[in-house]
Amino acid sequence: MARRRSSPLSLAAAGAAWLGYAFLALPSLIIIPMSFSNSDELSFPPHSISLYLYDKYFFESNWMAATLESLEVATGTAILSLLLGVGAAYGLSRAEFPAKRLITMFLLSPAFVPAIVLALGLYLYLGVAHLSGTTTGLIISHTLVAVPFVIVTAMAGLRHVDRHLEIAANVMGAGRLLVLRRITLPLLRPTILAAALFAFLISFDEVVISYFIAGVRTQTLPVKMYSAIHWEISPVLAAVSTLLTLLSLGICFVVALVRKDR
Amino acid sequence: MVRLEGAGRSYGPVTALAGIDLEVLQGEFLTLLGPSGSGKTTLLNLISGTVSVTSGRIWIDGRDVTDLPPMERGLGMVFQNYALFPHMTVAENIAFPLRVRRLPEAEIRRKVTEALDLVRLPEIAERKPKELSGGQQQRVAIARCLVYNPSLVLMDEPLGALDKKLREQMQLEIKRLHALLGMTILYVTHDQEEALVMSDRICLMRDGRIEQLGTASDLYFRPLSVFAADFLGESNLLDGECVAVTPDSVEVRTAGGLVMAGLEPRGLVSGASCKLVIRPENLAVLRDGDTAPCITEGVLEDVIFVGGVTNFRVRLPGGVVLTAKRLTAETRLALAPGAPVRLGWKPEDVVVLK
Repeated sequence: MARRRSSPLSLAAAGAAWLGYAFLALPSLIIIPMSFSNSDELSFPPHSISLYLYDKYFFESNWMAATLESLEVATGTAILSLLLGVGAAYGLSRAEFPAKRLITMFLLSPAFVPAIVLALGLYLYLGVAHLSGTTTGLIISHTLVAVPFVIVTAMAGLRHVDRHLEIAANVMGAGRLLVLRRITLPLLRPTILAAALFAFLISFDEVVISYFIAGVRTQTLPVKMYSAIHWEISPVLAAVSTLLTLLSLGICFVVALVRKDR
Repeated sequence: MVRLEGAGRSYGPVTALAGIDLEVLQGEFLTLLGPSGSGKTTLLNLISGTVSVTSGRIWIDGRDVTDLPPMERGLGMVFQNYALFPHMTVAENIAFPLRVRRLPEAEIRRKVTEALDLVRLPEIAERKPKELSGGQQQRVAIARCLVYNPSLVLMDEPLGALDKKLREQMQLEIKRLHALLGMTILYVTHDQEEALVMSDRICLMRDGRIEQLGTASDLYFRPLSVFAADFLGESNLLDGECVAVTPDSVEVRTAGGLVMAGLEPRGLVSGASCKLVIRPENLAVLRDGDTAPCITEGVLEDVIFVGGVTNFRVRLPGGVVLTAKRLTAETRLALAPGAPVRLGWKPEDVVVLK
């Protein structure tokens, strides 16, 4: 292909795009050098380089407890939303039943409802069910938010699984469960992995609902961070943020790899 | 082997397949032939059970399978896109129907090897389908279908995605397997040549109905409708009017004033309008001194060389153009467009249709 001469207009557009990108990315990037500071307040640029804040994150206060709580909730959310979401997607894309579109919309609706509304509803509902402030309550709440994403991802993946393969297996004598286990799910594996990682990330990043649901003993990492910024402006935040950015980048990288493989 | 009684399928108000009555014999190679939308694939899917009938009943091997799901019908099927499982090796693909049937592992291994030998691909067991060529994939699909010895095999345009050379090779290959193993094959294609080459009988379909059912030569030489005459092979179609009808012959005057005689009036009466069908290869371009039972004169319009055969387009005085197809080897006629020529034919080669 012949290389196009860049016109002043397209150069300006590209420049604007890069400026916008820098404006959005800079805050996250500035955090990284700040996290290597050794002072007890947030400062930029750092006076000297050290792992003081990371040391504090890993070994002091209750940062680790919040992290473990988050990991537990995110793992539970990933498993539960996979079970529900992939199952729902399979039914929606492979079976015919009345009011299918309506049911699809209903299942995806948590994605359209404002988080604060969901949070309030869940707070009241889980309170009645005595699940408020428990890890189970957090997993249920996060699953509600993650399931629509899992359904959409899985339905897209199922569209790529040739139905002729399932029909062929069926004609050769395999029942529906066997076809699902031996054909559909193995072919869907990259999609399932991607969906699981997304669900995990959604849960791990969730603040609004967690703030309502989490109790003193079940504070998740984002909730702890929010409190930290509110009450103490602890510089450990910079270290945590840096680690979270790395985690998100890592997961997106894995998802991209898996997608490319397909 | 397979019997359909009034089997039909409609989608809401749309009838994909009207009530079909059809009987496929044990060990027969029957082809469902027709243009797209004629219902041939729907018919195949009704038999495989992947589409359920909305009317009528279906028997396979004397068993009423109308209400049985595909997995319990015990038949084999080969798909146009091969439908090989991309996440399994060739050997695992072929072993799949055997694993479903819970055969012992040693027997599975033996049968997979046999099946690969049968389709002459013994070396590729450990490869993945996407590493194979189209022709190899189709052979694997056939091996996977035959490995559990189904007595009935359905093939849905299995060679549709292959190029012409490979397709002809695979046609003979499938015929060889049919002769060797003796299973009943129901084969769907829209390629009339493929149908003629492979079938014991051809079921010509049109608009969800059976247009004509018979042997290849029945359909080719004795078409019962203009559609059948037109769909199989090439034909010269002429409009005409019956002028004289006797029990075993009919004389037709065509638009151009040409009078042709045909056999089998098939209920036509004098004065009725009709169509004449004559195959291009049944028209001879006569040389000086040659003679034929029926002869007409015209002007050569075009000579089209198509390799082994040459087509002569001849304009008759009334304006009708007939095509005569001769073997190039036997037509060393130095004829140029514009030359006067005589066409000859036999009355039994003319088919008169309503």
